Amino acid sequence: MSTSELNKSFHFWKQVRRKVVNWTTLRRIMSIVLFLMAWSILVQFTGHFQQIPKPLAVFHALFQLEPGVIFTEILRSFLRVLGGFLIGLLIGFPLGVAIGYSRIANYLFFPAVEMVRPIPPIAWIPLTVLFFIEIESQIVFLTFYGAFFPIVYNTMGGISEVDIRLPRAAMSFGINRMGMLWKIILPAAMPQIFTGMKVAIGITWLMVVAAEMIASKGGLGYWVWHHHTLMEYPMVILGMGIIGLCGALCSLGIDAVGNHFMKWRNIF
Amino acid sequence: MADSNNRGEVVFEDVTRAVKTRKTEEIILHHCSFVVESGKLTVLIGPSGCGKTTIINLVAGYETPDRGKVLIDGIPVTRPDWERLVVFQETALFPWLTCYDNVMFGPLATKVMTRQEAHEQAIKLLEKVGLGDFMEKYPIQLSGGMQRRAELARALINRPTIMLMDEPFRGLDAMTRELMQEYYLRLVEESHGTHLFVTSEIEEAIFLADKLIIMTNKPSRAKRVLDIDLPRPRKAEVLRSKRYLELKANTLEILHEEAVKASRASGKADINIEASIRK
Repeated sequence: MSTSELNKSFHFWKQVRRKVVNWTTLRRIMSIVLFLMAWSILVQFTGHFQQIPKPLAVFHALFQLEPGVIFTEILRSFLRVLGGFLIGLLIGFPLGVAIGYSRIANYLFFPAVEMVRPIPPIAWIPLTVLFFIEIESQIVFLTFYGAFFPIVYNTMGGISEVDIRLPRAAMSFGINRMGMLWKIILPAAMPQIFTGMKVAIGITWLMVVAAEMIASKGGLGYWVWHHHTLMEYPMVILGMGIIGLCGALCSLGIDAVGNHFMKWRNIF
Repeated sequence: MADSNNRGEVVFEDVTRAVKTRKTEEIILHHCSFVVESGKLTVLIGPSGCGKTTIINLVAGYETPDRGKVLIDGIPVTRPDWERLVVFQETALFPWLTCYDNVMFGPLATKVMTRQEAHEQAIKLLEKVGLGDFMEKYPIQLSGGMQRRAELARALINRPTIMLMDEPFRGLDAMTRELMQEYYLRLVEESHGTHLFVTSEIEEAIFLADKLIIMTNKPSRAKRVLDIDLPRPRKAEVLRSKRYLELKANTLEILHEEAVKASRASGKADINIEASIRK
């Protein structure tokens, strides 16, 4: 190896040390290690929790997964979440815009929305049987319902909290009412609309898992429940982990879309 | 823009405007009358909280008077119009648009000029206010002074008959402020539109103005109108001239009476003006 190459490789390792093996990274890894340790110790030394599998058992369960089966279940849940979320967006977003932008729409819809909203979405499960005969539709309805209110609420809130000087300025520049909505109000409310969508997708996952556990029509919720009835608890925990991962993935997806539309917010 | 020389005259005719809350009614303007001559730069100065922003809102059409009339070229103001543009105290640039797109906003909304014409104008104006290299930046990436300059360009591209400046340079540091005043004067002296500029800084007021309207305390009206006969184009040297100092002393005296009244009325003096008097 020549000197310059040596130098280069030395420089490379220096970079690695600075960027990868630093205290911040170590502490972050530590956080996870500590969590896993606390879990193991709790299970080991308390009689109460002895039935619960240890982290290692869950790790072993990972290799017993049948990829074909698990990916089908993931896909099923994903499609239900996506379907419910998109319908929620399709109905909730225009409604939120109307309530936030027009006083008449506000008087017409807001009291009803405000009356129904405090009911936890899960409480709707018994009633959905009456709405739809098909189980698939019931599940999608429940996921839709979970997404609906956060989207309506945040869209509405985002619009009503727009800094008054922005529409005033736009009005001075001679913008018409449609232009005001599309070019001023919606861009200004965009950050909160995306916050609403992130909350919505979280609740959508909650709803899909709850619905699947009851409906026995496949999906990750069903898969977890199925392994629970078989008393295969490492699989149950693994399933929980996969559900969490999927939720996080969806949240990141929305962030990515949001960042694409709101470049102006995170440029410095 | 020769035609705007005889357009854009603002007349306040016996205007009264009150702000109502649930229980109280506070009168901001009380039988207030004055004239803002067309094609001139008129500066409104008065103790803080004397309703200067209300006057701007009335001219802009954001508010309407409770009694009396606000006339522009003889026609009462009923709603906002792109012929009257406001530059605000704090920046009101659209944060989701780049500097260039912010400036292009007005022309594209009103379609008074073609896109190509607007584009050329935008570039010319942005270069004139020293933002030629910052056209593709978002407002968040600009300093306070730059944002204010972008706002000036955004308003001026529409060739408004009347420009309303609501303490546009407040909150900028002294150096930037001076620079802004010079940029502003250069633009005004070229454009010949009517300008109504509101401030609570005496130096700024006299340095910029053709005419100075001094307001009383709340409930306020125009107390005195001074002609500022300093030469144009105005340069910073004017600040050392004898005439400038005379005008300043004169203004201070009038304002002082009001400041004293205000401190008697509310128990707190207007810090801005008190501080200037001590200098």
